Amino acid sequence: MPKKKFYVKRKKVCKFTAEGIEYIDYKDLDLLRQFVPVSGKILPRRVSGTNPIYQRKLTRAVKRARIMALLPYVGE
Amino acid sequence: MPLYEVGLILSPDLDGEERDGFIGELRALLGTQGATIVKEDVWGKRNLAYEIRHRREGFYLFWQFEAPGSAITALEYRLRLSDQVLRFLTINLDQELRRKRKFDVLRAERKARPKPTAETGARIPGGEA
Repeated sequence: MPKKKFYVKRKKVCKFTAEGIEYIDYKDLDLLRQFVPVSGKILPRRVSGTNPIYQRKLTRAVKRARIMALLPYVGE
Repeated sequence: MPLYEVGLILSPDLDGEERDGFIGELRALLGTQGATIVKEDVWGKRNLAYEIRHRREGFYLFWQFEAPGSAITALEYRLRLSDQVLRFLTINLDQELRRKRKFDVLRAERKARPKPTAETGARIPGGEA
């Protein structure tokens, strides 16, 4: 029998909804880094599962962090 | 008066005394503008994510304060003139926290309201409904 190429689909959860984070602080680097890989790009919603409202807030926070040189504009 | 948060990156070239002097000057400026500092957060020297004016590190400082809008104008004017400030960012926290506060109120109300079936209505002190 040929091997089936199935994988378990993991349900994506919005971290901010789940943990009740309503204000995303640009200084909270540990939080932001979860959504910004070393490339410096912001993870899209389809990957991270973030709700639209929080994705926009996250984007704002990341861009602020970039202004303050806490996160890079261009990563490796 | 709105609550503001301002973040500063000061030049790493300053020695401790010069820096303290400058910070004191800013604090005095805020004071004369009618601001009250609520919270101060000093991160100290840390590496920048990218070079600013050929510096690889900067001295980070954050303030939260309540002040009239005119104080922000004065402060930013001063910061812009200074060579010692690499970068600054002002945020109106009242605007940012509006949604959070709204939801906090709603949540408190929901908790205070007694459920029709269970008898868990009187859990929140001061919550009458």
